[in-house]
Amino acid sequence: MTGIVIEGVTRSFGTVRAVDGVDLTVGDGEFFTLLGPSGCGKTTLLRMIAGFCELDGGEIRFGQKRIDRLPAHTRDIGMVFQNYAVFPNLTVAGNVAYGLKARRVAAADLARRVDEALALVQLAGYGERWPHQLSGGQLQRVAIARALVIRPQVLLFDEPLSNLDARLRVSMRAEIRELQKSLGITAIYVTHDQEEAMSVSDRIALMQNGKLEQVGAPAEIYRNPASRFAAEFMGTTNLVEARALGRDGADLVSLRPEALRLDAEAPPGWPRIGGSVVHVEILGPITRFDVRLVDGSLLKVAALDEPHRTLAPGAAVMLAYDPARVTVLP
Amino acid sequence: MTLAIPHQQRMPLAIAALGFLFLGLFLLYPLFNVFSASVLDAEGEKFTFANYVKVLGRPFYRAAVTNTLAIGVAATITTTLISVPFAFALARLPVPGKAAILALAAMPLVLPSFVSAYAIVLLLGRAGIVTQWLNSWGIGFGSIYGAGGIVLVYTLTLYPYVLLPTMAGFKAVDVSVEEAAQSLGSSPRRTLWTVTLPIVIPSILAGGLLVFIETLENFGVPFVLAEDLPIFAVEAFKLFIGETAPNPSSAGVLGVLLILTTAAVLLVQRRYLSARRFATGARAAPPTLQVGPGVRVAAAVYCWTIVLLALVPFFAIVVLSFMEFRGPVLHPNFSLENFAILFDRSTRPLLNTLLFATLAAIGVTLVGVPIAYVVTRMRSTMASVLDVIATLPFAVAGTVLAIGFVVSFNSGWLILTGGPLIMVLAYTVRKVPFAVRSSSAILHQIDPSLEEASISLGRSPLQTFGRILVPLMLGGILSGFVLTWVTVASELSATVVLYSGPWRTLTVVMFQALESGGGGVATAAASTLIVVTLLPIALLYRLVQRYELS
Repeated sequence: MTGIVIEGVTRSFGTVRAVDGVDLTVGDGEFFTLLGPSGCGKTTLLRMIAGFCELDGGEIRFGQKRIDRLPAHTRDIGMVFQNYAVFPNLTVAGNVAYGLKARRVAAADLARRVDEALALVQLAGYGERWPHQLSGGQLQRVAIARALVIRPQVLLFDEPLSNLDARLRVSMRAEIRELQKSLGITAIYVTHDQEEAMSVSDRIALMQNGKLEQVGAPAEIYRNPASRFAAEFMGTTNLVEARALGRDGADLVSLRPEALRLDAEAPPGWPRIGGSVVHVEILGPITRFDVRLVDGSLLKVAALDEPHRTLAPGAAVMLAYDPARVTVLP
Repeated sequence: MTLAIPHQQRMPLAIAALGFLFLGLFLLYPLFNVFSASVLDAEGEKFTFANYVKVLGRPFYRAAVTNTLAIGVAATITTTLISVPFAFALARLPVPGKAAILALAAMPLVLPSFVSAYAIVLLLGRAGIVTQWLNSWGIGFGSIYGAGGIVLVYTLTLYPYVLLPTMAGFKAVDVSVEEAAQSLGSSPRRTLWTVTLPIVIPSILAGGLLVFIETLENFGVPFVLAEDLPIFAVEAFKLFIGETAPNPSSAGVLGVLLILTTAAVLLVQRRYLSARRFATGARAAPPTLQVGPGVRVAAAVYCWTIVLLALVPFFAIVVLSFMEFRGPVLHPNFSLENFAILFDRSTRPLLNTLLFATLAAIGVTLVGVPIAYVVTRMRSTMASVLDVIATLPFAVAGTVLAIGFVVSFNSGWLILTGGPLIMVLAYTVRKVPFAVRSSSAILHQIDPSLEEASISLGRSPLQTFGRILVPLMLGGILSGFVLTWVTVASELSATVVLYSGPWRTLTVVMFQALESGGGGVATAAASTLIVVTLLPIALLYRLVQRYELS
């Protein structure tokens, strides 16, 4: 088991700096996520760790050992791909045994470890099936078993859930997290889905334009975004000038929709601002509504469903907000 | 000092280096020698354009150029005219026995076209069976020799080149585009002309170009049918055989002109097609159209007539090979005599054909599959250059490449002339584009992440190639192998230049029998050739079926 150190790693494609001087330290056994929009460099960084993409500069170490010059097949990595990459010419058991055979594991040991790995991903008894007989979710389980069975130093996940349907995504991400924690293998996970990242990660590195935007625990980045990009990417937010909220200065502030409430539902100490309702969506557990302030700026509000609340477009409302949840952005 | 080549590029670079070495030595070097022969004087010493002036100054060779181009254009037009309705009928009309038609329609692609030409001579030539029969009724028709006969044979043997892509094109048309046109008030007929056909035109043109290039390079058909009509490939061969000077300058001139023409045509095609990609993203093949019984019968008769007509010459050759030839006249005494004579002389030609075809197919696979890997997986200028070079043999007539081989390897450090290896190498180079094209088509469908998965699990790139890619490509590799085998077995244009003494092939036997008027041996060799080419195809078909069932 190993921590990962990434130092000054850089890579350009033509004139685009895909990864631009990234420094990161991932702890032993940590579940670490690279999060960002497409083209931010997260996949390139992951592929550098895996050995499928060269570095222009910098270095990557597993523990004390520098690995960025090693051939990919000697790095001892388990990788799970977006499109599963299950070998169609091998059975499920053949897929899981593939890496063990490359490591010349003895036959008796091999069969046992394959069975264990399949049981671990709840595919016990599926060994003799062919990939084309499995569903997308099952294929991804095969891919995970195949990566785990070799007991790699590091597990890499490249958007492993984005080809699955929404419901399966939610249950699989919990399973992946649980497996990783029970095995204690250091994992790096790439996704563009903010909610997925928050649900699985110990820490998140938010990336943009090849650079690290912010690194921290999921709740920390959500609650204290260090930049406008971080505030917007980590979920819906209101970006307004401080004076729109009745505060001093022209600084841009971020205020999450759930930090706003209707006057009647808010604690007395919270500051009040008046406006008129523009648009209402009742989504079930949550009601979302937009309020136009007197100065013309628009605030998005999210509140839990409340049967007695009446809101109609055009109605004048008084809002209150939690002053502790206002983040001033640089 | 260590080379600073990133580890993930080492294997592709090594393959590319070997590919450049092979193609450089056995393609570019011979072609360069053909070129330099054309611009040096007869002693091979001084640079001059005199050869071009001399060759093109003679009306005979100018006629060779114009004849070849005119016949090529004519054959392209006739194949297109018969194939487009054929393709439409197969794709969209209810025609009985479509699977059988498709299987039969692909056969002219693997059967030797000069055998078809020879059959036409035996049937419709001066002493032809049909000609004499018609003459006995007092009916005469124009001569089958010359341009007309050549275009006829090209049409019958090359039409699948247009038919197959055009049919695929018709099937790829999204039916909702047609429905949109009709909902806008366009009649079905107008929709066909204004919507469907324009979408299919790139496919038709791609096929037509293949036909045109095939006609430029073909040696056997004009050799059998041209008589006094000068044709490019034949005249280049005759010039080369006849040239006694150390420098084959005149043959070189014709060779260079031939290459330049095909290259120009290919370039024009690339330019035109790259600007027109009408992919409509059809999810399912468009439905069969509802038509009246008249159209239905007409379509069935049309399709079956063409398919069978194209195979009649081959069938005729097989029948004729059991008949007795007295001079050019046939007698209906059926026996195995012709085969006895053919094989009594020697079984070597048959064995040579089998041996060369097998060796060349192995060579093409070993060279073509790795090159296809580099070309599809590496995005670099080097990979594109390799791609172009590996496609180049397609634009080089067999005669020209063979002349280049003789000039390059008959002296110096690498002497190959007079042996079997030079033939195998020439075949290998000629057919490399087949393997590269078919393998890269499959490789495009294999997700690169499969390779990365294998590598991340601890297999080196080379092991990954063998354990993951080769099994996944096996179907394509195998069919490429068989296609190479079959086309090499009936190769004539390079063979007639390169063969020597004991290394004659069946095609050479046939060629020589034709020259000396030995009709019996020629037909026996031709039908042996037909069997030799159809057997592996049938085997492959069986194998593919079994593979798909399991």
